[in-house]
Amino acid sequence: MTYIKGMNTAALEKTIEKGIKFLSEFFPLKTYLYFPLLYSALFWVIKRPKEWKEEIFSWKVFPAPAFIKVKSDEFILNFFEDNQALYKAYEAEIKKRDLEALREAAGCLYRILGLEDPFLSSLFALELEAGDFRKIVEEFDERASQALEDIEAVEDEPRLLKALGTFASEMASLCGDLISQDKILKMLADLLREKIKEKSD
Amino acid sequence: MTEHPLSRMRRASVLFLLFYFFSLSACVSHLKEAKFYYAQGQRFSRQYQTQKAVASFKRALKEAELEAQKHPSAQAYMLKGLAEMELDAWKEAEESFLRAFSFGFEKGEEWAREVSLLGVASSLEELGLEDSAFRIYSYLVDKSKIKQISILAAQKYMDIALERAIHKEKKERQRLLAAALKTAERLSNRDLSCGFYHYLQSQVLSHIAEYKRSFEEAVMARELGLPTDEIFRDNDLQIVFCYKKLKEKLSSEEWQDFHSRYMKWIEKWNWPDPETPAWRKEAKHAADDKVG
Repeated sequence: MTYIKGMNTAALEKTIEKGIKFLSEFFPLKTYLYFPLLYSALFWVIKRPKEWKEEIFSWKVFPAPAFIKVKSDEFILNFFEDNQALYKAYEAEIKKRDLEALREAAGCLYRILGLEDPFLSSLFALELEAGDFRKIVEEFDERASQALEDIEAVEDEPRLLKALGTFASEMASLCGDLISQDKILKMLADLLREKIKEKSD
Repeated sequence: MTEHPLSRMRRASVLFLLFYFFSLSACVSHLKEAKFYYAQGQRFSRQYQTQKAVASFKRALKEAELEAQKHPSAQAYMLKGLAEMELDAWKEAEESFLRAFSFGFEKGEEWAREVSLLGVASSLEELGLEDSAFRIYSYLVDKSKIKQISILAAQKYMDIALERAIHKEKKERQRLLAAALKTAERLSNRDLSCGFYHYLQSQVLSHIAEYKRSFEEAVMARELGLPTDEIFRDNDLQIVFCYKKLKEKLSSEEWQDFHSRYMKWIEKWNWPDPETPAWRKEAKHAADDKVG
């Protein structure tokens, strides 16, 4: 059980349970979406209180141009060399300058570690924590497109956005000023995961 | 008490006038509202407020549809087509532009053709027929008069052009990259105020290791505005990348000069240090904690 010093953990748990209960009405069989949705709602309500609604669904929903995916060799190498954990995981490819393999991996990892998309980061949170970047690359296409498809099906449902907003605001108000600390957000993420796991078990 | 026939007539005509007035103003307001929401949608999308932009374009479409039903006109169908294009409804947009043409909008036919071509290219790409798709994107990049089409086609064109280049041997790679750069420059010269075209130039220049120019174009792109938050962040990472490369490559004197200019920019952008964009610091824990 996660306890967060200086906070009413029972009240936080209750709010999380409410959030999970609501999501289970929308996505009864898609428990894998609970953590990314609740976490990114919380993340954006804290970081961008005015634009959180737009940020949660800032996935491609209308035909804006995408960023240029084909990067130069030097850019790709720099991306891997700049991050210690990534460097360690792909040391063999970097030393061999196997740009084909590095490019393929960067295609998935750049949006998470470079552009820092909170939804994708939480969708692959377990793998990121374990530093299992190769698993992310292997499963990226399937899991990301499945999530996009599942969310798009209910994206226009105003009750969903309202519920995510209420959940995140309640969590933020229960934490008060402490919420601005990165450590606290990390602890809340752990608590979220713990409760989601309990419910899915 | 029975009402006098004259006053009944007078009342009826007042009611008729009121009805006429309101129905007329309602019609005027559908067109006006459609224009208002379309402009609002464009504003939101420039500010990276995707969800609000989509909501505004949907509202613009609804108003334009009502206007087209009640008072079909070239303007109503043109607005309908533009809103549909923003919402990815390409087939419907094509149809609307053709209707606009039939009501006297001279460019309607040409617009419909361009929309149709973009849809065809996209389908060809999905089918793996990249060469044919590339030819259509190339045509649209050169000829399209509609900014949205030109921007979308330019992004697709550039991704395919760069993909082709990186798989070639040095000489051929340089030739293809030079051609891609020429296209990006032509686009920028055609519309100097479009941040996205400067972003494209910066990306291509990075491939040919012209880091100083790549940096300058990325700064210009940032200052002029970019269409999505994702592109904005990618452009910032390009700025940081150029900074690092120039640190390695420039002579000490050149570096001093560049560094002092760079520091002024990042002060303006509120970056905590030369290699950390403001948004990165803000979100740092989300990625770094997990990575670390």
